[in-house]
This record gives sequence, C-alpha cells and structure tokens, in this order.
Amino acid sequence: MKIRSTTFNRVLLGVVLAVALVVPLLIRTNQYNLVLVTTVLLYGVLATAWNIIGGMAGQLDLAAFAYLGLGAFTSGTLLIRWNVSPWIGMILGGLVATGFAVLVGFPLFRFKVREVWYALTSSALVEVLKVAFVMWEDVGGPVERYLPYYSFSLYHMRFGTYIPYYYIMLAILVIALVVNYRIGRSKLGFYLRALGEDEDAAEILGVDARACKLKALMIYAFLVGATGAVYACMYGFIHPNFFSGARSTEVAILGIVGGMGITYGPLLAAVILVSAREFLRASLGGQMESLYLVIYSVVLILIALFRPQGIAVMFRDAYRKLLSWITGDEHVLEANTPGI
Amino acid sequence: MDTVVQSLLNGALMGCVYALITLGLSLIFGVMNVVNFAHGDFVMLSMYFAFFIGSMWGVDAVFTPVVTFPLLFIVGVVAYYLIIDGTLRQKYVTQIAVTVGLMTFLRAITQLMWKAQPRALPYSLIQGSIHIAGYNIMLSRLISAVVSILAIGGVSLFLSKTWPGRAIRAASDDLDAASLVGVNYRWTYALAFGLGSALTAIAGGLLMTFQQVDPTMGVRFGLLSWCVLALAGLGSIPGLLISGIIVGAAESLSMTLWDPRARSLIVYLIFILVLWVRPRGLFGRK
Repeated sequence: MKIRSTTFNRVLLGVVLAVALVVPLLIRTNQYNLVLVTTVLLYGVLATAWNIIGGMAGQLDLAAFAYLGLGAFTSGTLLIRWNVSPWIGMILGGLVATGFAVLVGFPLFRFKVREVWYALTSSALVEVLKVAFVMWEDVGGPVERYLPYYSFSLYHMRFGTYIPYYYIMLAILVIALVVNYRIGRSKLGFYLRALGEDEDAAEILGVDARACKLKALMIYAFLVGATGAVYACMYGFIHPNFFSGARSTEVAILGIVGGMGITYGPLLAAVILVSAREFLRASLGGQMESLYLVIYSVVLILIALFRPQGIAVMFRDAYRKLLSWITGDEHVLEANTPGI
Repeated sequence: MDTVVQSLLNGALMGCVYALITLGLSLIFGVMNVVNFAHGDFVMLSMYFAFFIGSMWGVDAVFTPVVTFPLLFIVGVVAYYLIIDGTLRQKYVTQIAVTVGLMTFLRAITQLMWKAQPRALPYSLIQGSIHIAGYNIMLSRLISAVVSILAIGGVSLFLSKTWPGRAIRAASDDLDAASLVGVNYRWTYALAFGLGSALTAIAGGLLMTFQQVDPTMGVRFGLLSWCVLALAGLGSIPGLLISGIIVGAAESLSMTLWDPRARSLIVYLIFILVLWVRPRGLFGRK
C-alpha cells in the first residue's frame, strides 16, 4: 500500500502533539523537570514569535524580553493592585507591548534604521526599560513584587504546581505556530520575505516596507507581551531583571540557528538547544559552574559556521529523504513550500 | 555650578578611554564590515588579563598592556582565522550569531577561570589627585585619558604612514581595488581584527587602575562602544575622540544631576536618538 506524504506529515504532527500533551503527566512528580520543559516551551514561543519579525522580515530584533517584561509588569501590576485576572491582563499586557512596539518601531522604520543598527537599538531598548523600571518605584523598583499566592485559582492563574503553566504555554505555542504558518502563506508573509531578502528591491516592486515591518513587529510584540503575563504568574513575582538583554539575544540566536523564516525552525532550535543547555547545566554545574556555557557557545558557533541555513534545513532534508524512501515518491525531495 | 564642571571633567576623561575602545571596534566594523558583538567582552578579557598578570607578578596595572597588548593581538588573530573568516560572505545575521557565540564563550571562560566575584588590583601607582583652579582631578583618570589619546594618535599615524596601515585603509575603501594593487585581504583583515582587539588591552590596563572587573562587564562596554561609534560615524578619528568625550560627559552628568542609576539610560537614549536623527553620525564620511 502506498502512503501519501501528506498523511505522513499529519501523523508526525499528531505524534509530536500527543507527546507534548503527555510529557508533563509522566514527570509530574518532579517540579524541577516541569519548570525545565515549561522553560523550553517558553523559549519556543518567544523564538517562534520572533520568527515573524526576525526570520521572515529579516529585522534582527533583540528586544524579546522588553515586550515580555512589559506584558509581565502590566498583568502583574493589575493583579497586585486591582485584583484583575491575568487572563484579562494577558490581553492588556499584549496590547501594552504592542503599543510600545508602535511607539518605537514607527520612528525606527521611518528613519530607515536597519540591520545592525536596528539590532543594537532594540538591544539598547531592553536596557533602557530595565533602568526605567528600576527607577519607577510605583510599579517596579529594585525589590521583587510578589503576586498573591493561591494553591489553585484559575481566576488568578496561580497554581501550586507547574503543570497548568505547561499547558497554558503549550496553548500559546500552538497559537504562535498557527499565526506563523498563516502569515507565512499570506500576502503579508510574501512581502515580509521579499523585504527580508532585499529591502530596496522589494520597495521598488511596490512593497510598503514600513507598514509591513510595523505589522510584523506588532504581531510579534503582542504574542510576546501576552506570554509575559503567564511568565509573571509562573514565577510568582515581577522584577525589572525580567528585561534581560542576554536572554533577548538568546531568543534571536535560537531563531537564527533554527532556520530563518521556517515556521518550526526556532521551535526546533529551542527544544534541542535549550534542553541540551539545561541538561549540561544540571549535570556539569555541580563540578564546574559555567562549563556548560562554554560547551553551549562552542556548539552555537559551530552551527552558525557550518550550517548557516539552520537546524531546520538539516532536519527537513533528512525528513524528506526518509519520506521519499518510505513512500517511494521522489517528488517530495524538491517540494518547495514557503516557510516549511 | 562647580559640581557640574567637576562632573564634566571626570566624564570627559573617562570618555577618552571610551574613544580608545571604540577605535578598535571602528577598525573591525569599518574595515571588514564585520558586526562584532563580542568587542565589549574583549575589553572584559583584557581587564582580566591585566588582573592576572598584575596579581601574579606584582606589576602595576598601568604597565600590564606591555604583555596584554601582544596577547590580545594573538587572541584577535586566532579568533579571526577560526571563526570570523568563515562568515565574511554570510549574511550579517550569521556574523551576529557567531560573535554572540564568541561573547558567550569569553564570558563563560572568564567565569570558569576567575569565578563570578568582581576582581580588582591593589592601589595603583597613579593614585591620588591633583587640584587645578579648585577642581579635583583624579590622577588615574587623567593618565588614562592621556595614554588613550596617545594611543589613538599612534594608531592614527600607523594607519596613515605605514604600509600595513595604508593597506587596512585601502581595504576599507575598496576591497577589490586594494586586492588588485597587491593587498592580501585575509592578512589585512586578520591584522585589523588583531589590532582592534589589542587596543582593548590598553584600555583594559588603564581601567584596572581604578575599576574592578566581573564577567558580565562586557555588555556595558559593548553597547557603549557601539553608541560612541554611532555618534561619531565611520572614518574620522578626531570625531571618535570628541564623541567619546560627549558620551563620557553625558554619562557623568546624568549621574551627578539626576540619578546614579540613570547613566546607561542617558547613553542609550543618545544612541537611539542619533540613529533616528543622524544615522551617519556627527563626523561620518558616508
């Protein structure tokens, strides 16, 4: 019997989703492992959202944790002061992050701040926000602000275990992936990829680069900002250190080594690299702190040097070979679908 | 009023060291168009080398560049051949990924060797201060500024008077034409990267006379030097010095007049504003 490659794809997707759903139940007794898998998902969400502005539009945004922090502070402050549910805070946090993105993105794109300068500006923004929130004592300040504790309250999104956070994060991840996939196949996605390749050429062909980039930045900021609300609830406090330049850069690096513009690339990189890093940290950290970072950075450099196309392309080629071998269909080898 | 002038003086002296650090970055970015995110961590590394040599041999921090300068030059050349060379024809995002990897690597290595707590050397020879017209000038800062200016002048002479220096400038103007007249680009690039890194050794030795070092210090110097470079633009060495002084003075003023925590805030706001209003910098050629 001949198996069609599309059925094969669906089965694979189903298996991955089933595994993702079952994992927390298997390790439910160990909260540390639950934090780890949730962290992997968190980076998966951030890198997937980053793929819209970074991967497709080619704008190297290094401000992921700026938007995340804004979302976390919005929803956290609303919960602490006015007892507003983080579910509403999530939307509002996303909106605040989007508003900030417009405020920053509009002049940046208007004045054609590009490439490395865009990257550095966004990187500087994270630090600006961090200092601003440390100095803004009404909301931030140098001391952690704790969210009210509940052993299990759906309204407050506060749980005594990490399992619900895992599923919330998984849901956001699925949303981020679907958004990514839909944009990738829409007109906006084609425009973004065109200007990501060569902005001037795209503009000559009639692409409104400024509007497209701003749209991409807004979608990305909203997704990340909404994730920030969950982030605050999961850790149980808000602190200006949420605005972390190093972690923001890491999100972008995951997007780059994962495979720019490929829907599942950043997620793949997050799953492989973040779990490998955490595994190394847990196993080597006892004897030699920061040895795990040495290994991690060498791996990063090697991937970027020898596989600049990204992990996803390596994976895709191997998968296609396997597929053509199983289905006997040579056609899959050259299949060219945008974003896949 | 006195405090303002005093703070301006301190900041301007510090700014000369910033200009020296930025000169290294400007060589790397201007000549090779390589986006080096690890430059600040080279400064951090040189400060650790200065600490290491200073504490091992009991040498004063000011004299450590005699050893750390060639050392950092070698580190730079090795880094160039091992990793930067392979990314020259790649997109700039790959270069950023690679240099971010290098940055993480340097940070992890220093943390592995010297642990995370800040390190400092005992009091330097150039301790104390002098008084001029009622203002108090710290000797360590003054000498740092003078040495920085001398070093910048030296590099400037090297770039205009010697053959390798001219080769670097030629390669930055037009790589193809330079190759035609016999400039070996890989050799030139390696030289530029090595020199750019080695300049941080001088800055590192000077900084160690009045500062301590910790492994996360690189971020600050990295962004700071990009900020000075954005303000100065490419191609003007005096412009670099003036921009460094402006940034240093602005940083110092915001600390005295507003809030000590606001120092980076002001620097980054200047950076963002410059990119919006004058992308080629105040003294840029292009």
